[in-house]
Parts: sequence; structure tokens; C-alpha cells
Amino acid sequence: MNLADVLSLFSLPFMQRAVLGGVLLGILGGILGSFLILRRLSLFGDTVGHSAMLGVVLAALLELPATWTLIGFTVAFGLGVIYLIDRTDLGSDTVLCISLSGSIALGTIGFSYLKGYRGNLLSILFGDILAISNTDLILLSLLLAVTLAWIIISLPEQILLTLNSDLALVKGVPVRSHRYFFIVLLSITIALTIRAVGILLVNGFLVIPAASARLICQQFVPFLATAAGIGAFSGVMGMVISGAIDLPSGPSIVLVQLFGFLAVALWCRQS
Amino acid sequence: MHSNLSVTQPIVTVENLSVMRGEYLAVDNVSFELLTGTHTAIIGPNGAGKSTLIKSVLGLVEKRAGEIRLFNSTGKQSKRFKPEIGYIPQKFLFERTFPLTVSELVGLGLNNKQWWYSSKRKRDSIYQALEQVHLTKQAQQKIGTLSGGELKRVLLAYCLVVPRRLLVLDEALAGVDATGEMEFAALLHNLKQEHNWTILEVSHDLDLVSRYCDSVICMNRRLLYQGSPNTTLTPENLLQIYGSLVSPTCHHHEPSRRTESF
Repeated sequence: MNLADVLSLFSLPFMQRAVLGGVLLGILGGILGSFLILRRLSLFGDTVGHSAMLGVVLAALLELPATWTLIGFTVAFGLGVIYLIDRTDLGSDTVLCISLSGSIALGTIGFSYLKGYRGNLLSILFGDILAISNTDLILLSLLLAVTLAWIIISLPEQILLTLNSDLALVKGVPVRSHRYFFIVLLSITIALTIRAVGILLVNGFLVIPAASARLICQQFVPFLATAAGIGAFSGVMGMVISGAIDLPSGPSIVLVQLFGFLAVALWCRQS
Repeated sequence: MHSNLSVTQPIVTVENLSVMRGEYLAVDNVSFELLTGTHTAIIGPNGAGKSTLIKSVLGLVEKRAGEIRLFNSTGKQSKRFKPEIGYIPQKFLFERTFPLTVSELVGLGLNNKQWWYSSKRKRDSIYQALEQVHLTKQAQQKIGTLSGGELKRVLLAYCLVVPRRLLVLDEALAGVDATGEMEFAALLHNLKQEHNWTILEVSHDLDLVSRYCDSVICMNRRLLYQGSPNTTLTPENLLQIYGSLVSPTCHHHEPSRRTESF
């Protein structure tokens, strides 16, 4: 495929929506993923992502709208998991593994009760960024606006509670409210990202750009900006590569993130 | 923000405080007062409830019974004085690659409004605090590159960046070498004099307690002794507290620095 073909491909509305969706998801993933990895919650993203299978099955069984059911389910599941982590003496990794296994078991059983064509459900494993709709873009834009507003209003508090929650509590930071609101934003982001890249790759969007930025940044605000920038850049590059050589779009974006991370890690090691 | 506390009034009053940690009564019916401008150490063996006691005073751990008055206020009323409390925790764990510089960490001590000040105004406040702990050269270093002693001084600068009246330290010198300990203790003492801080600290170093503290609380879940280092750190008391005689140097202090706070 030559350059003219690629350019004409990106003149198609569904491709433009996909690129814009990739950029918005990349920025959101970069920002929220930065806090996710510093708060050692990487496994949380994976758990909520995989639990989404149960949400999708519930939506199909109860004949509810898929997007809104998935959002509601991931938020409820995420808050439930954090509540369990807070209220039990078990380690967070233990609670996350229990929740992950339980939700997949329930999802699989629910799946077996579904009658008729199941192809749409299987697509949740891999997602389809080309199917991003205008409604999805509006939701993503709203979510990004709320996330940015929240960061701007409370950035020093967020950094402090990420670094040491006791210091934050003594300063009077509402640690619990901030934590739970972060989980709500993260869960909605995961639900919307799953529609684009699927259950199996959703955590890549959250963890890889932030991990790359963490290797190269000394200061916090540049770290957040770099993670968001890497996420957005990967979204565009992944779509261009997938269009140019006809590869699946979601995995192409994650591969761009991965190669970016490897390049940064190698560069850091040498310097 | 400042309450009308006079110098002779207690800045912290703890009455009949009991705190549970799970099924375990970690603090049992403890009472004490801290007067403004005094330096008080809590000592006792491991598991004596010292950290639980100060965490309860700070509101980090819920109490089972008793009353805690901070700046002459209780409960929700005392929350408005939180910005006047500095805290240095025993453990300050983070990953080496945490993307935060020394000056950024000190800047987190500012209140939210100050944090968004023009960069010069904010930088000046941060550098003044770092200057007082002799760490201006490290301002742009990542916090993961600091030694244990340097990190504790950065936390002290975090407390210094806004005016505080009460400083609470939970074994702040744990993991710091002997030289670092002496430097930190001397620095803390000088800053206390300069800023008229009231200090409450958990310590295991009886030599430093004897040298710098005005009063000592000896506890083993219950309050055993309280008073000046002269009267509390006696061989008989230490034998009862620790089960053996410890730190025989604990009486080489300068009595002129002491005032009774109980």
C-alpha cells in the first residue's frame, strides 16, 4: 500500500474516528496509568479488564445496552474490589486474584447459558477500534475532560497520597474519596478501552506508556505529560501502521507502545 | 487558623486513651499533655504501642476510648489545625524510580493554593526550607537517589515549608547511620528553638532523648513513667521498662535545656 492509499484510507470517517479514539484512549491511559503503576495497582487494571467478560455476558443475558452495562459493571466491580482490599487483612494481590478467578468463572458459566450467535461476545476479547462510534468519542472526550479537571484541581494531593498516604492524611487530604474517585475514572476508562482493544490488551494501554515515561522522567508533571504523549503518539502510529500493512488495529497500537518501551529501556540502560 | 493557646497551655492533651490493633489492646488508658514549645520523647520496648499512640494522636488510627485534644479542639474541630502539624513517618517506602525531585517533594508541604503559586514565589519557599536543612544542592535530584539521612532531612524541609506548631516523628532516625542520627538530632533541636515547635517523637536512642528532650513518656501499652529525662531515665526504671539496663550514657545531658511539661 503506497502513501496515497494510506492517506485515502484515513479520509474515511470510520478511520478518523478510530484515530481520534486511539488518541483519546492513549491520553487517558497514560494519565491514569501513571497513578496506577505508582500506586502498585497494575494487576487491578488486569482484573477489572478481565472481569468485563462477566459484564458483557450479563448485558447479553439481560438484554441490556452493552456500553452502559459494561461501564456500570466495571465501576461496581472496581469499587467492590477496592472495598475488599481496604476491609480485609489479605494482600491486595490475593484479593485481586480471587476477584479475577471468581468473575471469569461466573462469566464462563453465564456464557454457556447464552443461546444463538456468540460472535459479538468473542470480539470483546480482542475489541475493534474501527467500530468506535460518535457516542464513544463523546464519552471519551467527557471522561478526559473530567480526568484533566480532577488532576488540575488536586494534583499535589494526588502526588502526596501516591507517595505516602499517611503524610496525605495528616495534611488533611481526603484520601479515601480521592482513591475511590480514581477507581471510578479508571474503571470507566477500562470499559471504554475494552471496546477498542479488547480484554486481553486493555492493561497495555494503562501500563506501558506510563512505564516508559517513568524511565525517562525526573519530575512528576513532565512524567504525566510524557505518559499521555506516548499514549497519544502510539494511538496515531499504531493506526497508521495497521492501515499501511493491514494489521489488526488494537494490537498494532499496543505493539507500538511495547517497542517504544523497549527503545526507552535500552536507551536508559546505555546512558 | 491559629487558636488562642498561650505558651503554658497544652498543645496536645491525651486523656485515658485506649487503642485496639485488631484483637490486641495496643494502648491502654494512657494520659499525657504536651506544652507549647516542648520536646517530648515516647520510649518503650518493641510492641509497646508507641507508634500506635502517635498515629492515634494524628488521627491515622481510630481510638477505642478516651479523648485527644489538639490545639484545644477535639474531633472535627481539630481537623482545621491539620496544616499546622508536621509528620515524619517511621517508614517512607517508595520505588527508586518514583518520578519526583527533592524540591517537588518539599513543595507538596505547601497548601493547594500555594502549590499553584507563580514558580518564583513557590521556588523561594522551597529553597528557604531546603537551605535550613542544608540540602539546596540536592534540590533537583530524584528522591530515589538520596541516602536515608538525606531523605529524613528532606521530610524535615517538607515540614518547614509552611509554618507548623506541632511536629510528630515516628522513629524518624530508623535506618539512618550514627553520624546521620547526630546531625539530624542537632538540626532538629536548632530548628525547634528557632520555630518554637512542639515536638512529639518516638525514639529508641536514649542518649539523644537525654540530650535533647524536655520530657519523656515511658510506656509498655500502659503509661509507666512520665517526666523529665532526669527523673524517668533512671537505672531502676529502665530495668522495668526494657527488662535490662540500657544506654548507660543516658544521663549525660544538659539540664539547662529542660523544662517540665507535665
